[in-house]
Amino acid sequence: MPEIRKRYDALVIGGGITGMQAALDLGEQGYDVLLVEKYASIGGIMVGLNKVFPTLDCSSCICTPRMAESAHHSRIQLQTWAEVRQVEPEGDGFVARIEKKPRYVDEDMCIGCSKCELECPVDVPHEFDQGLGARRAIYIPHGNAIPQKAVLDVEHCIFCGKCEKVCPTECIVFDQQPEQVETRVGAVIIATGLDITPMALKPEYGGGRFLNVMNPLAMERVQSSNGPYGRVLRPSDGKIPRRIAYVQCAGSRDRSIGIPYCSRVCCMYSLKQALLLRHYIHDVEVTLYHLDIRAFGKGYEQFYRRTMNEGVRVIKGKVATINEVENNDLVVRVELLDEGGRVDEHRYDMVVLAQGLIPAWHARGVVACDEASDGFLTTPEGKINPSFTTLAGVYVAGVAAGPKDIPDAIVEAGEAAMAVAGRLQRIGWHKAPAVAAAAN
Amino acid sequence: MGEKTTTGKAERPRRPIEILRDRMGGVSKELQASVKEQGRIRKLLRGALAGGPRTVPELGAECELPTTTVLWHLMAMRRYGQVVEAGEAGDYVRYALKGSE
Repeated sequence: MPEIRKRYDALVIGGGITGMQAALDLGEQGYDVLLVEKYASIGGIMVGLNKVFPTLDCSSCICTPRMAESAHHSRIQLQTWAEVRQVEPEGDGFVARIEKKPRYVDEDMCIGCSKCELECPVDVPHEFDQGLGARRAIYIPHGNAIPQKAVLDVEHCIFCGKCEKVCPTECIVFDQQPEQVETRVGAVIIATGLDITPMALKPEYGGGRFLNVMNPLAMERVQSSNGPYGRVLRPSDGKIPRRIAYVQCAGSRDRSIGIPYCSRVCCMYSLKQALLLRHYIHDVEVTLYHLDIRAFGKGYEQFYRRTMNEGVRVIKGKVATINEVENNDLVVRVELLDEGGRVDEHRYDMVVLAQGLIPAWHARGVVACDEASDGFLTTPEGKINPSFTTLAGVYVAGVAAGPKDIPDAIVEAGEAAMAVAGRLQRIGWHKAPAVAAAAN
Repeated sequence: MGEKTTTGKAERPRRPIEILRDRMGGVSKELQASVKEQGRIRKLLRGALAGGPRTVPELGAECELPTTTVLWHLMAMRRYGQVVEAGEAGDYVRYALKGSE
């Protein structure tokens, strides 16, 4: 991997779909971009999703070409397994301090053959599969990972040395150290994406306690053909589930947990998963309990209708509690809002909580742009310059600025890239190649 | 003359893996126990599957293990090519050792 240089036109923080799109939009205009990703692969949340709504296109089939394009673009330099520790204004631009975490693998030498992973004797719950599947202590992040390079999880290493012995290129480097690097950039785009609201905020739903109460990202992986089970099974005993419930707003629009906003995507990802369950398990009953369905995007209302037409039961009801009974089945107690508030109970094999979105990263202590009370970055000119933050030269795109779906995040990435291009010309940071050649 | 230890032998230079292990404070007791337990469970599962394809509840009962534990280990074995699906039995999938199905 090339060393981080002393100067770039722009730094993009976050290698998910938003960050990749922003980097590509800048790279295509001839700007040099450093794209920093904290995980060992780019691709973010999107590469782990099963399909996207409302088209039901394969998510990784859309995401992986963007990943490859970002990795091979002559104007984009990737730095995975690294974190931006500080961004400070300096002159017209910024000085960025980046920590490269040790992979304990020489990235230039690793050929991604997986021999180390196959030989490693330690199995660990795999974060990419939400803990439902396994990886090894040394592993390639996932099948679509870019770069296809191994990384050693030193916390789970038993130092048996088997990986070192089988590696055909001798690329295991146990004495690798964290490295602090400094670079200068003309502008910054924050595209740090999302996390989901913690299940613990809604203890009445039993998330984290009951094995068959699942988070929506886990369901994405379970539905994926390359997921932890290779088909839809429930985690408690591998049963093919026949009765599944979705509980909407299980972490959004709830002032009691400090998350008053609507997360905007939960209705649609739940409808999508519910419909796909009907495709994957022919006799499954899927019930979706909601307060109201928000299908606001292009083709979304039609998708909602299609979901109901294909047999998903959509019921207006407020779920009060979920309790576990024998065989790890779950009883959902619900107030039926269209039946005068009648309270009903139903038994399910599995329940998916439609948890909301929260920011995955906070600027505090790293870069001096403000966050709103909900933790998302403040966009003071949200109507006309939605990517502007409170610090000139630092821009935001995607869920770092607030909950949104993939198309909106991509549009925002383009807007941020154009704002950066304008700034770089305005401050004279970027010299077009022809001008630079003449100057030399 | 090289420096001599009290035993009279020159000390072997420490390998990077040893230096890293020491820097990490060795292998924790929890990790040692977890790896040992992993070995015990895999042996039980391989033993039961040697008798033919089994579902997760059947393996749980035969090996006296929680079914969620069986599923996780079975899926780890599947991922790394030791176990394959071998049809369905009611609401459950049957699994077999690779090559025996």
